[in-house]
Amino acid sequence: MLNKQMARIGTVLLAVAAVALLILAPGAPAARERAHATTLTIWVDNVQKPAVDKIVDDWGRSRGVTGNVLIHDFGKIRDDLKTVKAENAPDIIVGPHDWVGDLAANGLVVPLFPKKAVQRQFPGYALQSFSYGTATNRLYGAPFALENVALVVNTRLARVPKSFADFYKQALAFKRKDANNIALAIPQGSGGDAYHMYPFFSGLGGYVFGRSKSGTLSAKRIGVANKTFLKNATMIDKWNRDGFINSKVDYGTAKNAFVKQNAAFWITGPWEADTLKTAGFPVRLVQVPKIKFRSVPFLGVQGFMVTKFAGTHGVNSLAKDLVGDYMMKSGSQRALAAANGRFPANRTAGKTVTDSILKQFGAAGAGGVPMPNIPQMGSVWGDLGGAWVKATKGADATPARSAFIAAARAIAAKLASGG
Amino acid sequence: MSPRAVRTRRSLRSSAGLTALSLPARAISFFSGTVGLVIKIALLSVLNALAVWAAVILADHREWIAVAVLVAATIAIDIVYLSPLAGAVPLKFLIPGTVFLLAFQVAPIAYNVNVAFTNWSTGHILVKHEAIEGIKRNSLSESANGKAYTMAPARDAQGKLVLILADDDSGATFVGSRDKLTPIPRNSVRRNVDGEIVSASGFKLIRENELFKLDKELQNFTVPASASSAIQPEGLTTALELTPTLRYDSKADTFVRIKDGVVFRDNGRGSFTSGNGEELEPGWKTSVGFSNFSRLIHNPIVRRPFLKVFAWTVSYATLTVMISFALGLFLAIALDKSGMRLQRLYRSSLVIPYAMPAFLSLLVWGGLLNDDFGVVNNLLHVDIPWLFNANWAKVSVVLVSIWLTFPYFFLVSLGALQSIPAELTEAAKVDGGGPWQLFRRVTLPLLLVAVAPLMIASFAFNFNNFNNIYLLTQGGPGTGDDVAGATDILISYTYKIAFAAGKGQDYGLASAISLVIFFIVASISAAAFWRTKSLENVR
Repeated sequence: MLNKQMARIGTVLLAVAAVALLILAPGAPAARERAHATTLTIWVDNVQKPAVDKIVDDWGRSRGVTGNVLIHDFGKIRDDLKTVKAENAPDIIVGPHDWVGDLAANGLVVPLFPKKAVQRQFPGYALQSFSYGTATNRLYGAPFALENVALVVNTRLARVPKSFADFYKQALAFKRKDANNIALAIPQGSGGDAYHMYPFFSGLGGYVFGRSKSGTLSAKRIGVANKTFLKNATMIDKWNRDGFINSKVDYGTAKNAFVKQNAAFWITGPWEADTLKTAGFPVRLVQVPKIKFRSVPFLGVQGFMVTKFAGTHGVNSLAKDLVGDYMMKSGSQRALAAANGRFPANRTAGKTVTDSILKQFGAAGAGGVPMPNIPQMGSVWGDLGGAWVKATKGADATPARSAFIAAARAIAAKLASGG
Repeated sequence: MSPRAVRTRRSLRSSAGLTALSLPARAISFFSGTVGLVIKIALLSVLNALAVWAAVILADHREWIAVAVLVAATIAIDIVYLSPLAGAVPLKFLIPGTVFLLAFQVAPIAYNVNVAFTNWSTGHILVKHEAIEGIKRNSLSESANGKAYTMAPARDAQGKLVLILADDDSGATFVGSRDKLTPIPRNSVRRNVDGEIVSASGFKLIRENELFKLDKELQNFTVPASASSAIQPEGLTTALELTPTLRYDSKADTFVRIKDGVVFRDNGRGSFTSGNGEELEPGWKTSVGFSNFSRLIHNPIVRRPFLKVFAWTVSYATLTVMISFALGLFLAIALDKSGMRLQRLYRSSLVIPYAMPAFLSLLVWGGLLNDDFGVVNNLLHVDIPWLFNANWAKVSVVLVSIWLTFPYFFLVSLGALQSIPAELTEAAKVDGGGPWQLFRRVTLPLLLVAVAPLMIASFAFNFNNFNNIYLLTQGGPGTGDDVAGATDILISYTYKIAFAAGKGQDYGLASAISLVIFFIVASISAAAFWRTKSLENVR
């Protein structure tokens, strides 16, 4: 009996002690009530953190605030923002422009209105890539870095092509030299890769979504199988027959072939800049030569966005000042873009880029099309990539015309199924 | 089998049984004294402490029902474990299991069911009042020839908040209050090299901490500029002339578009929509009854390929389990011979596919099976479109699944074989049974008693084996204009229609489909378990 009583008393005592510890520990509700007024919480990935830290420090000194720059797994920023508790939520996030539609449709990011003088320093497409709206476009982010694919030429094996016909002839001639050679190292694989294929898609007159009268992207105007493109699609069948493009080449195969000089031409982006610099042979980067139309690549734009939580935390003006003004200045832009090896979005900052590979990537992106940022884009990737795979898989390929018509139908069906 | 082998095996088993009996007994006697009491008090204290901590947080969020349930449950647990009554003993064993069942099974299922009846999806994640705020925010637009100003918040002589404004084009200076915009002499405002306002005579600029505390006030501060537009702060040093394009009527709960008077009403499904179906973003999360389930029936992209996908899912899971079991059992029997050389090496090498992370194996297999550049075709000097042809892709998927699954059945069968009493096989041999008869009539039925439930579990697992499909073929290759590819199983197909269609993420629809899949798998498994009961009669 004594034991039992001791047990009960012991439990109570220990419980009280433990509770006291837990409540005093950081993270408990009492500690949460910290002053939010003068800190900004920013979610960035580890690559950008040092550059953002420095910019926030410089800016913070002039404003008398401190930033709380947190590393967040880049791939998770978008979805975590939807579920995070308001008290832990970031005031500013970094992200690619194709998140904008989703985040704005969910009401999680707020519109920005930078000054005209600031906006003029950016190419129109960079601002447009961060604009979204069902009726009217609004700007939801400050772009800072551009990325796009380019045609990389191993100048030891081939000349920089003067025209598409020249490109085609050289690629096939090189392929014939050796059984292991690939005409053009462009990644697809069984899942397809509509992103890397885009220059060839746009060069034949293809586009993903058209724009409505007010300039917003419209999911009702699917251009995957538009008339002009279908008329030119027989060229794809020829490419397939000649072995110019083969969907069985996946990312690893393409990269390997180019690095081992089994391909003179490669389609890739600035994330492979180090590979190009250490390849051991001279390379030149250009835009894919014009086919029927300019063969422009998809553009990916990175930027910072102000979340709706900045308002909840009482730092909305601060966050807008940092993102919509300070971060768009050419000095900040240069540092931010350099941190992850991309070309800066700000034109003035772009002029100061000295890295030759980066400069060439920047030039190859001229006239590029920002990847559509409306949330409906998720319905497109798989089917558009799949159409290319089917049309360029060699002997038993589907005629391009029917492959792309089927893809357009599947995309339309998926879009219609949305609630 | 030699008599010696039989003896060793039997003695091994009996000695194992002895330790199995004595260890718990010893453990019980060790823990029933003071040691046990101390551990019990410690564990209960931790539990109580956690409960108090959770209660404080829940109370902070005003979840009073949850607080009541939590407190009641904690007190009940304390009473049960401290009670000297003999009647509480069974409860002491039941409670931990029940708590885990509730936390890890019942709660997620209840949550899933709950989500299946909502419109939770892209554009519908906020609550209604937040959505209204969002629509108002998004409705602001820069006036056609609206002006932009360099701004500095300040206090006037009476201490009221005002904005000192300098027109970016003309340089004209103003002071803006909540009711009017008043010009002030240009030389009364001093600006630095960057153009920022540093002082204004007659006003006290608000700076740093004091300014940051005014954030909410600044967000709602408007200076009337014309009949329709107002100057609003944007950031800390800029103000803009903005015009709202929508007006919210809180009495009628409608938005009215100012330009043409179109009215947007709450459509009951989490959006404000106009008469012709135009929708305002963002919407909000709300309950939508059975509409997700009716979409399953009425939506052609779900309905049309359903039977095809379902049939493939069943055959994929069945083939994977059956062939893996057959292969695993065959290898287990082959390696069960005592006295075999390098037996351990063989056994451990067979487990390698199981020991490797499945993610890695799948990606590697994807490369190996590439038809122009893959190792498989190059080594065999064949030209099989493993991943590019619908039927071959199905073969590839099953083959790779078998590669990942057979070691499991090999291990299980190896263990189960040891547990078949040697007397039975000996007796069957004496009765003149051949090896095949021995296997068919004695070994297999006894083995199935142990392995059949595991086969059902493996079937249920493979039925929903998203990784295998997605990492190898992404459900492809595509067939015609169906959204479902040739190797899509129900769960990967669900992913495609719920997360790669429409506006992106549709959690409501996904939950509804997964409930349906749950019932399919549950009924198949229940039927199979019912069948296996008859197996137990062989004992």
